[in-house]
Amino acid sequence: MELDFSPAEREFRAEVRDWLARNVPGPLPSMDTPEGFEAHRAWEARLAGARLSVVSWPEEYGGRGASLIEWLIFEEEYWAAGAPARVTQNGIFLLGPSLMRFGTPEQREHWLPRMARGDDVWAQAWSEPEAGSDLAALTSRAELVPGGWRLHGHKTWSSRAAFADHGFGLFRTSGTRHRGLTYFMFPLADVGVRPIAQLDGLPGFAELFFDGLFAPGSMVVGEAGEGWRIAMATTSSERGLTLRSPGRFLATADRLVALARGADPALADRAARCWVEAEAYRLHTYMTARRIMAGAEVGPAASLGKLFWSELDLRMHALAMELLGERAGAGGWLDGFLFSLAGPIYAGTNEIQRNIVAERILGLPR
Amino acid sequence: MNFGFTDEQLALGATVRDVARAHCPPAALRSERRPAWKQLAELGFFGLLLPPEAGGLGLDLVDLLLALEEAGRACLPGPVVETAVAAPYLVPDTPGLASGAVCVSVLLPGQVYAPDADLADLLVVACAGGLRAAPRQSVRLTPRPGVDPCRPLFEVAFEEFAEVARPVGPALRRATVATAAQLVGVARELLAVTVGYARTRTQFGAAIGSFQAVKHQLADVAVAIDFAAPLVYRAALSVDGATGARDTSAAKAAAGEAAGLAARVALQVHGAIGYTEELDLRFWLARAWSLSAAYGTTAVHRARLRTAIVGGDLRRYP
Repeated sequence: MELDFSPAEREFRAEVRDWLARNVPGPLPSMDTPEGFEAHRAWEARLAGARLSVVSWPEEYGGRGASLIEWLIFEEEYWAAGAPARVTQNGIFLLGPSLMRFGTPEQREHWLPRMARGDDVWAQAWSEPEAGSDLAALTSRAELVPGGWRLHGHKTWSSRAAFADHGFGLFRTSGTRHRGLTYFMFPLADVGVRPIAQLDGLPGFAELFFDGLFAPGSMVVGEAGEGWRIAMATTSSERGLTLRSPGRFLATADRLVALARGADPALADRAARCWVEAEAYRLHTYMTARRIMAGAEVGPAASLGKLFWSELDLRMHALAMELLGERAGAGGWLDGFLFSLAGPIYAGTNEIQRNIVAERILGLPR
Repeated sequence: MNFGFTDEQLALGATVRDVARAHCPPAALRSERRPAWKQLAELGFFGLLLPPEAGGLGLDLVDLLLALEEAGRACLPGPVVETAVAAPYLVPDTPGLASGAVCVSVLLPGQVYAPDADLADLLVVACAGGLRAAPRQSVRLTPRPGVDPCRPLFEVAFEEFAEVARPVGPALRRATVATAAQLVGVARELLAVTVGYARTRTQFGAAIGSFQAVKHQLADVAVAIDFAAPLVYRAALSVDGATGARDTSAAKAAAGEAAGLAARVALQVHGAIGYTEELDLRFWLARAWSLSAAYGTTAVHRARLRTAIVGGDLRRYP
């Protein structure tokens, strides 16, 4: 057991830190506004120009083939530098890994480089009005027609869909529950999109109406009927590492401690605790990364991480709100607080995560 | 970066687990004062951290982490941390230390009483004038009531002693981290035993472990343990470094709280049977409480963390 970075890892960190110091823009307008969305897209193109948008991807798709440890280093530097939120998140962390694992060579060559540059920004489309935590209850369907499929149904809470170019999600092609679901990609231009304002008043997600949209076979990811397995492989990585890497919480914790300087000892105590917990998440992730690099799957252990980071993020931002009181609108903390409130809900609610931990890790009966 | 245990570290943990299972079953906690001690000594356990010139193997604390977790899992009685972890950095030249023939207790800054001093051949005590080592025959012990029947505490008085010309920090930090590792083991055992009970105890025609109100409490314990352990492992690696004191406090506080939560949930899920002297669970509840208070209470370590971190020490290791 050792915990020191190799010379190559330190060199990579220095390069990333140096590039970010020279290139990170001042605060951009929210990505949930038209101008902010395009500003974030332009930032992604700039990152991609330095081959820093998807460092862990293979070089042929715009990455550097970086190791998981290097990716974690990139994330630490990225958030410490105060760089913009990633408008491409859904694509590069959810769809991209699925295409690499389950897509055809043509799909990978066409979509991945575009995704890496921000040419295409992707929205996820998992939930439906009657299928949230119980995702397998979804009723959107795809019917087989000559040359492809036609999509019907209604998706909701579709992040980034108000402004994104494409979406991806599950549609029923046969069977019931987890069986017979198929993973589709689709252009949002041909979908009915109703943006939904979130707690901050901006349309961070949308509902989607499908009325017979034609999807050629080339827009199916993996085999028809295999969508659940493919999506779960994706959400397992989502919960595990890529959705919220430690870097963002380390950066928040540093800012929180600065905010708590001179505060009442009870509040300062909570700030110090959060700072240590962000470190715990970082160290825990290094242990997970080592297991993955040795060939292991994250599996249900991803739920432990999702519970920890989402509740830590909420604790940190709730404490910031207490420290700021009526000055809550200062310094970007309010947006962060509202966003942190979503953490225990998205990517599988924390009630579902606790069930997964209890049943699949501890072995308690269903 | 390779933050995982080596095969040798895993093997040492497995060996201690096997010894503890064979020689320190729960029944032994009721009948013996120092079960499995002789067998651990035969393995060379007490010389692992001693330098070769003192008859030891010269290993580092990180190599013993899993073995210490196993000692916690077994609720192993006796001054294991004091003899195997603290003594090598305080009195390494003591004859019989490597072989386990000599048993040591300590009373270092931050401790109120000496644990398991009734078993000790040698006591190392921090006094105003420095560290002193007192042999058993010169020591008067006064028992002080505590929470743990298998980890009795004593007030210590002595006249004869030898000065110990070593700094207390390296030993104290290591004893603290080693205690945190034991707490992780105590918490793991409490969780495992409680999950086992929740799987078999039925009410309303179903295993109580199928109820979400029970599941979610146990899931929270699993999270607490999973995120305390890496802090403990890191502290073993940074113990002599620039962040060593702070990392030690982080480890001890997190492990103490994880074990405290595990104890609380274990008792709640067991219900009335857990609230008895008859069930072995009581030993692990007591160990969670006693070790949480040992080498600085959680509150002491939290206060140190607050002072350091909010005071501006945001250095990270690594």
